Amino acid sequence: MTQPNKLFTKLVQGVAVLAIATLFIGLGLWQLQRAADLKESLKVASTVDTKAVPLQSVAQPRVALGADAFNKTVSLTGKYIAHFKAPNQDDGNGAVSDWEVALAQVNEQSAILVVRGLWSERMVNPEIQQSMTIDLQGVLVASQSTDRADNSPGVISRLDSAVIVGLTDLDLYDGYILARSESSDGRQLQRTRVTEDKINPKIPGYYWQHISYVVIWWLMAAVVVFLPFYRRRVTP
Amino acid sequence: MSGAIKRYRFMALVAGVMSLLLWFVDLPVAYLFNNEEWKQAVAWIPFVHGWVYAVYVLVAIQFSVKARWSMKKMIWLILAGTLPIASIAAERRVVRQYS
Repeated sequence: MTQPNKLFTKLVQGVAVLAIATLFIGLGLWQLQRAADLKESLKVASTVDTKAVPLQSVAQPRVALGADAFNKTVSLTGKYIAHFKAPNQDDGNGAVSDWEVALAQVNEQSAILVVRGLWSERMVNPEIQQSMTIDLQGVLVASQSTDRADNSPGVISRLDSAVIVGLTDLDLYDGYILARSESSDGRQLQRTRVTEDKINPKIPGYYWQHISYVVIWWLMAAVVVFLPFYRRRVTP
Repeated sequence: MSGAIKRYRFMALVAGVMSLLLWFVDLPVAYLFNNEEWKQAVAWIPFVHGWVYAVYVLVAIQFSVKARWSMKKMIWLILAGTLPIASIAAERRVVRQYS
């Protein structure tokens, strides 16, 4: 091989090695960011922010909830336009029961699911009608990802606006609200409130999984940088 | 050299078992079944596999350097840790060659 050709080949090899090593370092940084995000979401999800803020200030309809919106205490004024039964729900104390869930219309275009309380107590406030304006406060919780029952008329399989998207033309919020208090015309509606499920303590395991991927990607980057200097030694 | 072979053989077997668990237990549970309890039960597999593979890469490089293997063979040896059976097959090959 001539000298310029050799130089060109080495240059191409060098660029390729740098490109691959950069890619691997980038993948490591991506996993590092995922680990940091996971840690942050765990920190956010571990505590309930009791200072009430308007729902619209932390969430938007048809937009996935951000990590900073989880477990915020939110307030809203709206009307209950539909009611559902959510069977087999776990509360924070490990008790499994059926919950009453209402679809609260927040304004002309949007609505959110609200867990009002136990299904067995749904007749406690028979005066509530669709025309009544309800002021409520509650904790904003991430949508459930697994079904607890089958979907059927009046029954939702899980607390997730995705399962009722075909039943309404309104834009739905991601997540749902666990109602802490409800009032109508200044009068409190008395119900037994359910509490949120306990935070899963196994989440930190996933953090170290991401860190292991960081180590692997950066190790791969180091291997790629090392390979051009590797020469197979031949025994004389 | 014998130390490097022993270390490689041990890590190849461990990485092989972890790859089998990852491909045939963890991934089906994560993507084919909608069961949170099962997902929690197998959550340790990708975590352990990740760390085992990192160590596997190091011992594979050490073995390749000591065995004076070509760069191509070294890369194949490193990649063998990512596939089920492949690292076990590589370990068998090393045993045949060096025993």
